[in-house]
Amino acid sequence: MTESTNEHIGGLKQKKVFKIIVLGDSGVGKTCLTYRFCEGQFLDKSEATIGVDFRERTVRICNEDIKLQLWDTAGQERFRKSMVQHYYRNVHAVVIVYDVTKPETFHSIASWMQEVESHGLSGSPRVLVGNKCDCGTPESRLATAYAQRLADKHGMPLFETSALLDSEYDNVESIFMTLAHKLYSKQPLRVISVEGEPGYGVVTLPRQRRPPKSSGTDKCLCS
Amino acid sequence: METINPDSELDETCNVNGDCTLLMKNQSMDLNHAKNIDDISTPSELKFDEDFEFEDPDVTAKRKEIEKCLENPNLVNLEQWQSFAKSKGGLIADEYRRRIWPMLVGVTQDEMTDPPSLDELSTHIEYNQVELDVKRSLKRFPPGIPYEQRVALQDQLTVLILRVIIEYPHLKYYQGYHDVAITLLLVCGDRASFPLLCRLSYGPKAPLAPFMQATMQPTQHLLNYMLPVIRRADDKLADYLDKAGVGTMFALPWYLTWFGHSLNRYSDVVRLYDYFLCAAPLFPVYVTAALVLQRAPEVFACECDMAMMHCLLSRLPDDLPFEDILVTAKKLYDENDPTDLEGEVAALERREEEARRLDEERLRQRRAVRAGGGRGAGRGAGRGGGRAWRLLPRSPFARGAVLAAAAALLAVYAYYRPDLFTRKRADGADFEGLLE
Ligand SMILES: Nc1nc2c(ncn2[C@@H]2O[C@H](COP(=O)(O)OP(=O)(O)OP(=O)(O)O)[C@@H](O)[C@H]2O)c(=O)[nH]1
Ligand SMILES: [Mg+2]
Repeated sequence: MTESTNEHIGGLKQKKVFKIIVLGDSGVGKTCLTYRFCEGQFLDKSEATIGVDFRERTVRICNEDIKLQLWDTAGQERFRKSMVQHYYRNVHAVVIVYDVTKPETFHSIASWMQEVESHGLSGSPRVLVGNKCDCGTPESRLATAYAQRLADKHGMPLFETSALLDSEYDNVESIFMTLAHKLYSKQPLRVISVEGEPGYGVVTLPRQRRPPKSSGTDKCLCS
Repeated sequence: METINPDSELDETCNVNGDCTLLMKNQSMDLNHAKNIDDISTPSELKFDEDFEFEDPDVTAKRKEIEKCLENPNLVNLEQWQSFAKSKGGLIADEYRRRIWPMLVGVTQDEMTDPPSLDELSTHIEYNQVELDVKRSLKRFPPGIPYEQRVALQDQLTVLILRVIIEYPHLKYYQGYHDVAITLLLVCGDRASFPLLCRLSYGPKAPLAPFMQATMQPTQHLLNYMLPVIRRADDKLADYLDKAGVGTMFALPWYLTWFGHSLNRYSDVVRLYDYFLCAAPLFPVYVTAALVLQRAPEVFACECDMAMMHCLLSRLPDDLPFEDILVTAKKLYDENDPTDLEGEVAALERREEEARRLDEERLRQRRAVRAGGGRGAGRGAGRGGGRAWRLLPRSPFARGAVLAAAAALLAVYAYYRPDLFTRKRADGADFEGLLE
């Protein structure tokens, strides 16, 4: 699709928006992963996320620009219940992150899954991400097979990666691109739901200068 | 805001940045603050230096007065200290703050005791969370601080936090508490910070106490005063924020940390603390309202979309005129007492409750539909089916589309990640054993 086919009736350009929520215990690296995907770098001075942070990046799928909105949530339990609730609304896909060096973060996945389920998202594309695979010895890390079993049980793909290693950038990229492709392929439904749900953020984009690329140095909007 | 990248491929980034930048430039012209847009996003550029070169003559005069009072602090009453802390420029310098902050909250010399060692506290149940947050608080330390000194301060910070929650076991640590604690620690040192932080955390009027309850519900409730305050001052702005559905989350870190987490300039943070330490517990919420009002032009220039608005508001520019904002906040407070606003807050909460109820209702229906007629749709497509059902009732097209989508999605996935599929196979050998 070219720029002009993005033209809306009113003369405004629209881009499809996919909202992805990133969940997982505190410290597993949610902020670093979303930063890596949106900025192409490791965030070496990450801070505790208070509430919800937002990043985005535009990717190109089948010649169409798609905006991925990533909602990076606070991992601490107390923010979950009343606070983050609001952000589950209209979410299209879910990333659940654990830390391969901390089994307890893997064991929390059950409760994260429950939460996802309680928001009616268990049918949405979801991926499981084991982060920090650069850390420790292979023996000290949670066995892939073990994680894979859980991932299969919930019917979600598993990725093991590191937000830290530059060499893992492609892998981080494919986590989000997998979701984007899944969502894109669901599109007929997606478009219907876009029109059916008030407040859905289809964003208008005047003044497009040149067609964005699908990857590389796309700048994050807000960091 | 962020660095502007002229080569950015992301058109909407350019637009939003462009708009923000424009506004920020206008603002900084009003403000006589030297500002560099490029300086904001990276932690290392946190600004600690106070600019003495062009000191306002009023400030110089105030400095003299404060020094005079500090010569004989026992002869000075609390109102005097409060007046220094609230009036323009606040307490001016950390050397004054160190002595005046404890007096503002009524901490006495004999409450300032030596802290226990970290080892004694490291078995505490919250130790890991505190440690994790403290480790990530690098941005809050003066740049160029020697490594050993920083590590020592971080240990002091962990001890300080744990000491308080050990002293008051019913108080729960929250992420952001460490941002308050470090501000106190940097200004007052570890002995004085402990009683100070206790005062702020425990007691019927302790401003941080609501944040430390079992849930964040009390915090949410207090933050809900922000929008009604904004509405009292600027109806249109409130409507616009409502329409975007931006909620209050963008202001949550401001309130929980008294802006310590969200501002890049150390001097702004301590200035606000001067005021908050002797203001009403809810006053910081009025400051969040005043801050949003201050940024109204940017808000109106922003797309009326939840994500865009959240993004715009949550990142604070470096050149905010806090003296003006504080004056506005005080005026808002005087004119709209919290008790006056209760009705509006209750109405807002009812609306939110209703929205939540509708959401849940919709979810239940979707589930019922899925449970009743979902035999054709696979697990992965279940939700899509539910949606399609709701939006295109009884359309045979919907189910077909779901199945097609499910197939396509699998194909796309396998296509996109052949390596993962093969990797899975490889790992699968022993994993299949586990399943059997
Ligand atoms: N070695 C290594 N460290 C990482 C990696 N990703 C993140 N970290 C570190 O882990 C810590 C936590 O990372 P964050 O991204 O802040 O964690 P989070 O999940 O966002 O945590 P909350 O915001 O508290 O929920 C930081 O100190 C990071 O530097 C990784 O891939 N490898
Ligand atoms: Mg985070």
